[in-house]
Amino acid sequence: MNRPGWWRLDPCAPFALGPRTLPGRIWTASGCFGYGLHGHDIAAPDLATPYEGIGAVVTKTVTPQPRPGNPMPRLVELPFGAINSIGLENVGFAAFLRDVLPELEARGVPNVVSLAATRPAEFGTMAARLYEVGRGLRHWHGVELNLSCPNVAEGGHDFGSDPATVAACVAAARPHLPDRILVAKLTPNVAQIAPLAAAAAQAGCDAVAAINTVVGLDVDTASGRPVLPRRFGGYSGLAIQPIALAKVDEIVREVGVPVVGVGGIVDARDALKFFALGCVAVQVGTAQMRDPFAAARLAAELRR
Amino acid sequence: MGPLGAAPRPPAATWDLAGRVVANGPVSQGLRVLDVELPRAIDFLPGQFAMLNLTGPARLVFRRPFSILATAGRTISFLYRAIGRGTSLMAGLAPGAAVECLAPLGQPFPAPAAATPPVLILAGGVGLPPLYAWFARYRRPADLACFGGRDLDDVPWDLVPPPWQVSVDRLDGAAARSVFHGLVTELALACVGEPGDATPRLVLACGPTPLLRAAARLARERGWPCRVSLEEHMGCGYGVCKGCVVPVRDPGPPGWRHATSCTEGPVFDAALIDWDRFGHAAAGGPA
Repeated sequence: MNRPGWWRLDPCAPFALGPRTLPGRIWTASGCFGYGLHGHDIAAPDLATPYEGIGAVVTKTVTPQPRPGNPMPRLVELPFGAINSIGLENVGFAAFLRDVLPELEARGVPNVVSLAATRPAEFGTMAARLYEVGRGLRHWHGVELNLSCPNVAEGGHDFGSDPATVAACVAAARPHLPDRILVAKLTPNVAQIAPLAAAAAQAGCDAVAAINTVVGLDVDTASGRPVLPRRFGGYSGLAIQPIALAKVDEIVREVGVPVVGVGGIVDARDALKFFALGCVAVQVGTAQMRDPFAAARLAAELRR
Repeated sequence: MGPLGAAPRPPAATWDLAGRVVANGPVSQGLRVLDVELPRAIDFLPGQFAMLNLTGPARLVFRRPFSILATAGRTISFLYRAIGRGTSLMAGLAPGAAVECLAPLGQPFPAPAAATPPVLILAGGVGLPPLYAWFARYRRPADLACFGGRDLDDVPWDLVPPPWQVSVDRLDGAAARSVFHGLVTELALACVGEPGDATPRLVLACGPTPLLRAAARLARERGWPCRVSLEEHMGCGYGVCKGCVVPVRDPGPPGWRHATSCTEGPVFDAALIDWDRFGHAAAGGPA
């Protein structure tokens, strides 16, 4: 790909975001590169490791308690994307702090930890504990709040679709992360995303990540039933890129908070679209599942 | 090293390589072999797999998992049946076509050690590759290999020559070959004899779920060890997406957990699989 004339950033150069300097602007999206530890045994002729040029791995979301996740099938492949219903399977916060975070540090993987909880206050508790354990770590750069899960305290509605709740979650975590970034990942499943971004910004986040997955459903025509046992899942991949671009544009123009673009970024040209709209960084999601080198190759192409 | 052989440990790193099709054709009425030339040779252990994809406009959102049949120099071979969108597109690949290949991946079948009992192999249809590879590499005189096909035309005869034993589900007309008419598990039972006087065996199985359940039951009833290779749908193949989980028994509460098939498997100890939960996706799902 020929780089356009307006493109002047080195996506692999350190850049300041909130109170922290991040190693680069090409990140991998939460849930799409595991906890960031699965790439070390993989090599390619053109790149020594899948981590080359990656600014941050946003970890698979961690919850206060371990979760076994949803029954199979969990993935539906469609022509230009996929619907997932993994169910936030994860090892739980305690095991993550004990087993995963030190390993990320030891291997030098720049990381942002994705957290989910069932009550806003829990984000504060987790952020405080994470900072207690991680404050001395060089490669842990901060927290991304996954707000697309049911809020038990509010009757099971998504945290992410109500500006006041988004603000409460951000406000709960913010004081505990004095020199680490705090990113709120926003849902696109609302008519207007700008109020969510504004609420997160006012509550003190350093950036918003836009967008999380789009609610989707597929039907098995043979049985006449939804393919996924829980009917709905999160639609991701190239198909949602125009939705992501529209939501990013709405946030950039109406709110002005730094935006980390995510949604259907497969190659360098896709990433450029998000940077062109003003994103400070981008995340590679579904493409990273298919190709362990997706983000690294994208970064290499943009820095040439 | 335990009595079942070396601890599963892939010998080499996984490589993400751009390959070229060198041959792609039928080996029976339903089964095909795809040969791909890679820029470098791959070391694999029987039971390990590759994630393949097409390139250009036909590139699929997810790669597809294929157990490795064999390698020869820089050529890697796969056996497949064109049933879904991915394998149907694959069947149309002509020599020279580009293929993305991530390999080798996953845990292999155990290599035999001195104390490993003779194996009993049960391979069903397109589940043949990992056990073909095992038998080709490790075969000892007392090992027994059984392959089950749908009918005489479905059997890839060149891949299962004697001493492979062959069964077919349907046997129409006069049998030109010496085959067993019935399920591959029935063939295996006929081969190993009655429970009382049968030599203890290590059962290795790959194929449709009913075959795996039957193999696990046979082994359990006789107190034999058993390893099965599961053919779960996969998203990534390298452990990150959690889209290929299987329920396995676990010492901690609640007594089971989801194992990631692509990294903890696809070969599992059959005694560890929670067979009551396995394949029952609808539990807790739609009405």
